Amino acid sequence: MRLPEKGCALCEATWGDYWEEVEGQRMFFCCDICATEFKNIVREVKAHTGWKNIDEIRMTGDYRGRDCSALNADRKYTFFIRFDSKGEIQTFKEVPTPR
Amino acid sequence: MKCPTCGTGFDSNDFDALGKHFYAEALRSDGRHVMWLNRNITKNKTDATALSGLFERFFALGSGGLQGWVKRRFIEKFYGPRPHPFVSALQNPSRGTLLGYVVEHQHFLRQWVRSCSFIMARTDETEVVMYELDNINTEFGGAGPDRPSHYELLLRMGESLGLDRTKVLATPPLPDTKDAIRVWDDICQDYHWVEAMVAMHGLELIANRNLRKEGASVHYFDPEILKTGQVTDATKAFLREGYEADVGHSEEALDLAAKFAGRLGVVDDVQATFMRSIDAFDNYLMARLERGKQFETA
Ligand SMILES: [Zn+2]
Ligand SMILES: [Zn+2]
Repeated sequence: MRLPEKGCALCEATWGDYWEEVEGQRMFFCCDICATEFKNIVREVKAHTGWKNIDEIRMTGDYRGRDCSALNADRKYTFFIRFDSKGEIQTFKEVPTPR
Repeated sequence: MKCPTCGTGFDSNDFDALGKHFYAEALRSDGRHVMWLNRNITKNKTDATALSGLFERFFALGSGGLQGWVKRRFIEKFYGPRPHPFVSALQNPSRGTLLGYVVEHQHFLRQWVRSCSFIMARTDETEVVMYELDNINTEFGGAGPDRPSHYELLLRMGESLGLDRTKVLATPPLPDTKDAIRVWDDICQDYHWVEAMVAMHGLELIANRNLRKEGASVHYFDPEILKTGQVTDATKAFLREGYEADVGHSEEALDLAAKFAGRLGVVDDVQATFMRSIDAFDNYLMARLERGKQFETA
């Protein structure tokens, strides 16, 4: 999976020193909550799309909600996601992509 | 001064110690401290010395004194370019949003009375006792049949939207509401009463219509909805109460607290505790939205 050039795989912060293996890849996170959120995103995208793997997840927004696009080869899956304060999914909304 | 995240105490204005504390917590990836840094100071790692400097700047009061600082931080968090999602939803509120408000806010207001009572019990200042008494009556006691309390207006709003008050009162709070209430209860029981005052009454800024003049991106709700038939009369009555509250009066608590914070030498504790309180409030407002979803499909 392609990750941000530097910082936490979820929020790009460079604080912290928390590592976890996700999808067979060692990833840096600023804290365990970001790691939980990231793993939840991956699980949710795979469940909705049936993809075996994800090339990249692009995100904008902040801790109160993120607009995301997951990419797999030439396919794209767009959604909005919001987490509770423990990193569990509170809102997940698929956004239809215009063709 | 105190850590705004965990409450650990330091000498007054010892930003050096506060910077070192956060730096050490970030090194061990403590989620609460790291997130606090990300959201309030910077996402980019610095060394401990630079971090202390950033904290010093963050807590500098500026020309507006404690009141100005409190408002600035509040606007940043809830009324910036991306307002809090609950505030966005309240601009043109759906039935679900309003019922989410009713169900969770009932718990907030019950805690509100406890909080104000702790402040009264722990201060010797008559002005403060009088202020809190008045506030408790407005929020909870009411002043006879013509002046129902904010609590009563809230329950009536729920009824006007088809939700019986017995159901509202029987519904336990969502976890984020419960956690926030615990934060406020702890602050009001254990911290200095001036800290408690700003932690609680600072939250009333959410409905303060002066904030637009001070840089807020939107009002709490679009005031036009008070004029149209878009929401029920009981909803208008509830929203109007906060909106039309005497603007000078709404900041009286902050003025009182600023006076005593200076006199008693607890300004930096008040600031740290206020940050803790608005973090809890942030989560609590999210809980209102979360509860609202239950009514959107019904
Ligand atoms: Zn992160
Ligand atoms: Zn701390």
